[in-house]
Amino acid sequence: MFDDCRVSELSSQVTEGFSALAGMEPIPVLPALRAIVPGGGLRPGTVTGVDGSTTLALALAAGLGDRWCAIVGLPEAHVLAATAFGGEDGGLDPTRVLLVDDPGRRWADVVAALTDGCAMVLVRPPEEPPAHVARRLTTLARRNGCALVTTGPWAGAALRLRVETNHWSGVGDGTGHLRGRRALVAVSGRGAAAPGHRVWLWLPGPDGAVAVAEHEGPARLEAVAG
Amino acid sequence: MTVPRVLVVWCPDWPVTAVGLEASTPAAVVASGRVAACSAAARAAGVRRDQRLRDAQRHCPDLVIHDRDPDAEGRLFETVAAAVSAITPWVEVVRPGVCAIPVRGAARYHGGTDRDTAEESLRIHVQDTVVERGFDCGVGIADGLFAAELAARTANGGLIVPAGGTADFLAPYPVSVLDRPELADLLPRLGIRTLGAFAALPARHVAGRFGTDEVRAHRLARGLDARPPAPRPPHTDLSVTTEFDPPAVAAEQVVFAAKTLAEHLHEALATEALTCVRIGVEVTDAHGRTQSRLWRHDGALSALAVAERVRWQLSSWETSPDEEGVGGIVSLRLLPDQLVPDEGRQEALWGQVTVSDRIMRAAARVQAMLGHQAIVRPFPVGGRGPGERVVRVPVGDLPPKPGASEGQWPGRIPDPAPAVVHPEPLPVRVTGADGAPVTVSARCVVSAPPRQIEIAGRVLPVTAWTGPWPARERWWDPARFRRRARFQVVTADGGARLLIVEGGNWYIEADYA
Repeated sequence: MFDDCRVSELSSQVTEGFSALAGMEPIPVLPALRAIVPGGGLRPGTVTGVDGSTTLALALAAGLGDRWCAIVGLPEAHVLAATAFGGEDGGLDPTRVLLVDDPGRRWADVVAALTDGCAMVLVRPPEEPPAHVARRLTTLARRNGCALVTTGPWAGAALRLRVETNHWSGVGDGTGHLRGRRALVAVSGRGAAAPGHRVWLWLPGPDGAVAVAEHEGPARLEAVAG
Repeated sequence: MTVPRVLVVWCPDWPVTAVGLEASTPAAVVASGRVAACSAAARAAGVRRDQRLRDAQRHCPDLVIHDRDPDAEGRLFETVAAAVSAITPWVEVVRPGVCAIPVRGAARYHGGTDRDTAEESLRIHVQDTVVERGFDCGVGIADGLFAAELAARTANGGLIVPAGGTADFLAPYPVSVLDRPELADLLPRLGIRTLGAFAALPARHVAGRFGTDEVRAHRLARGLDARPPAPRPPHTDLSVTTEFDPPAVAAEQVVFAAKTLAEHLHEALATEALTCVRIGVEVTDAHGRTQSRLWRHDGALSALAVAERVRWQLSSWETSPDEEGVGGIVSLRLLPDQLVPDEGRQEALWGQVTVSDRIMRAAARVQAMLGHQAIVRPFPVGGRGPGERVVRVPVGDLPPKPGASEGQWPGRIPDPAPAVVHPEPLPVRVTGADGAPVTVSARCVVSAPPRQIEIAGRVLPVTAWTGPWPARERWWDPARFRRRARFQVVTADGGARLLIVEGGNWYIEADYA
């Protein structure tokens, strides 16, 4: 898929790419996630690492609107979880998702092919990608207007989002059912506005939407249970 | 709605005939240790279909045994189909051993003043034609394929069921002729032994208690047709091949040839007013290795699109490291698959997501690397468990009919949906305060509140839990029936999981990760 002349041609475009970067439209995210994603969206060609929560990774794709999203190497991801994350605006449209459950050794070629057409590729590489593979993928993604989100290790990730604490509400001792979850998300990486910044999010809230949670500290389980 | 008159040619014990055994020798064709078909002589000795081989040999010690050969069945039956197509070109091979033709037109052509004599002379004519080729057969005419096949199988070489008399003809047959083993087992236990009794059940009650397949069976029993025969003109090979001499070493050469070849193919299909939604590409190299791949497209594949796919296929072959040295391509073959009448192309209406060319190209490149099934689109459908609420359809295949998600699913897991649904449920140990495993009785009583769960050696205290939510799934089908109960459990690390207990074993079905 990558031959040498193509790579050298691409790397010459990288310099042009940097100048073009300023004018590039960011990939939109849900309004509630602007608290953790600087600039109102993910810049094409950047890698966002998500740790500890598949829900948060899917939530990043829930603001895509009529753009397409691909999920590579996460056979267990359940796209229907994110369909209502945007509240009244809907959320992730499952019919605009492509799933590649088992890309095997050729995962990088698969991601490279999917950056052309999809606005976001969510990938869990089987191992940490070598630097040259990561560079190729981000270059292609930048050129094609695609943001990469990974739930695996990725050294060059510009933004890292980590769910540190979860508080579920709705379930008591044998009663109720899961309704909402408040999650403490820690933001780090060179792309973060204020590294080390922490935000409480409803992931999702009792109404099914992702929102910023006002109160910190443990949820009042008793009040919501039932 | 009238059911069209159909003539069926039925060759008895076709699997036996196909392997070259005479009806007078006691012989049986076996597949996986059971009798698939037997000759008339063997049947007289007590050999039956679906009997175990050992039992059959007890009934008939000098039984000649042959392995089933489906290829030979299909191949030899072409002789019969060709003989019948000399009478009327619209022959539908239902399966090797049975073929059907529509009666209208053919009967008129084959003479007779009124309809009954015309049908009788057609029936005799077809039967004589097949018997002349050396095959025993029964020929029957009735309203609809199902009744016509039964009419063909009656003693003395078949009969004609008068128009409108199908329901009366079918009534005395046992329900086992419907060829649905579960139904044939269930209905007699309910006191319904004949098709007549089954047909007498109100259709809406059948629909209310059984699935669509049973409704189809009920339609058959009432003398209606579950599906009209789709007449096809005699089979012509529409595949096109090109040879390279000397072998082509440059991919461009093959791709260029593919474009011309695809144009020829499209012309051939257009003259038949057909289009194909799937195309098979077979590439053979100088070592005689053949690589074939099926390509599908929502619309028709243009010549350029076919050429593009051939290039992808070649590139995926060249880059795969276990194939050292392709050694030049000697032949390229295009096989149209899944032919449909060409009805022009309809753009999607509102509410349907069209796959743009750009997405289609990206998906096709992934398919070239990993195969057609490797890239899928999820579609929401109805279901209780989270994993059942989505079907995965390979890109390019037709999505499920909209409306499949309609309807209420009592006992559905309440929202929010989990973000992780394990393809294979993970085993887990659930224990109560006393350390004993938690069990759920048949009446859905929990032996003790779950206090901790153990996943792969990691023990997590339970801080909140809820359940059991019973799910008795597919109670109408003993083979797929499952009685299970679900729980939601929140653990001290903040994680929430959907657990399922079935037969005393606990599994993690989904993770609210």
